[in-house]
Amino acid sequence: MHNLLAEITGNIQGGLGCLGAAIGVGMSGLKGAEAVGRNPDASTKILVQSILGMAFAEAVAFYALFLGK
Amino acid sequence: MATPLFKIGPLPITNSMVMTWIVALGLVIVIRIVAGRPKLVPTRGQALVEDMIGGIKDIVAPVIGKTAINAAFPLLMALFTYILIQNWSGLIPGVGTILMRSHGAWHEFARPAHADMNGTIALTACAFLAGAFLVLRYAGPKTIFVDLFGNKASKEEVPAAIYYPLSLIFIAVGFLELVSIFFARPVSLSFRLYGNIFGGENLLHSMSAITRWGLPIPFYFMELLVGIVQAFVFALLIAVYIGLLTNHGDGHGHEQEGHHDAGSGSHH
Repeated sequence: MHNLLAEITGNIQGGLGCLGAAIGVGMSGLKGAEAVGRNPDASTKILVQSILGMAFAEAVAFYALFLGK
Repeated sequence: MATPLFKIGPLPITNSMVMTWIVALGLVIVIRIVAGRPKLVPTRGQALVEDMIGGIKDIVAPVIGKTAINAAFPLLMALFTYILIQNWSGLIPGVGTILMRSHGAWHEFARPAHADMNGTIALTACAFLAGAFLVLRYAGPKTIFVDLFGNKASKEEVPAAIYYPLSLIFIAVGFLELVSIFFARPVSLSFRLYGNIFGGENLLHSMSAITRWGLPIPFYFMELLVGIVQAFVFALLIAVYIGLLTNHGDGHGHEQEGHHDAGSGSHH
């Protein structure tokens, strides 16, 4: 097991960062869709909020990809 | 990466830079022609432009607040339109696909501006400076200082023994906020735009490399979507960053008043 872990190479931090960002973006979209379903009149406000949430979650992926070397 | 096409003095002119200028020039000319001279009864083109501006204004106005919206809106609209067309410029046939041979290797003749990090960093710097100007103009140094370092707890509800130690924490939070403003926000803005457009460009290239016919088509539509979303996100985030400092002049005031009027009845 330890040997297996030691042999993993490559852009692991990028992969993990993207994984987290993907989960975050997905949850933001999920909750946004749920919220529009409950209150369709507020869809513009919800769009702004959920796009902001997605943008912040997405930024993590790019930190992981470009800053982590 | 962006490849230098030719040099003016010591300054190398890259394919991304040329693309930036072409798109910017085209944008100015097309908007001028489409909108024309505004008339009371709008022509078709003017109606299109007005519709777009009105739609964006409805979304952005509550974010940025009443004080700064009229001054900030042209900046946001310019950012949105410019970034949108720059993002979509990578989808024009020939951009990123026409190759030329120089220094013993094949290079792209034209490449979208935002697939090169220099372009997005410059864009973020411009937006940052413009935003800083607007914030200084409409919020003023005192409001900014209080907003960053001031104690946000209310004196009536929090006992003095907790209130004054809390100020220390709020001062520390202010320094975190400064790091966020001067480092995290510009970096995340420029990296997000660059990452998305560069990633999309690479995606299209790899898909075309797998199968030349058919397979890249769905990804073109995805890139259309990514381009509009990223342009919107950039403009919206600049709006939020300006609005965080300028908006609370009237917004918070009303909130406070409402709070006082309602008293403790509704809250507890």
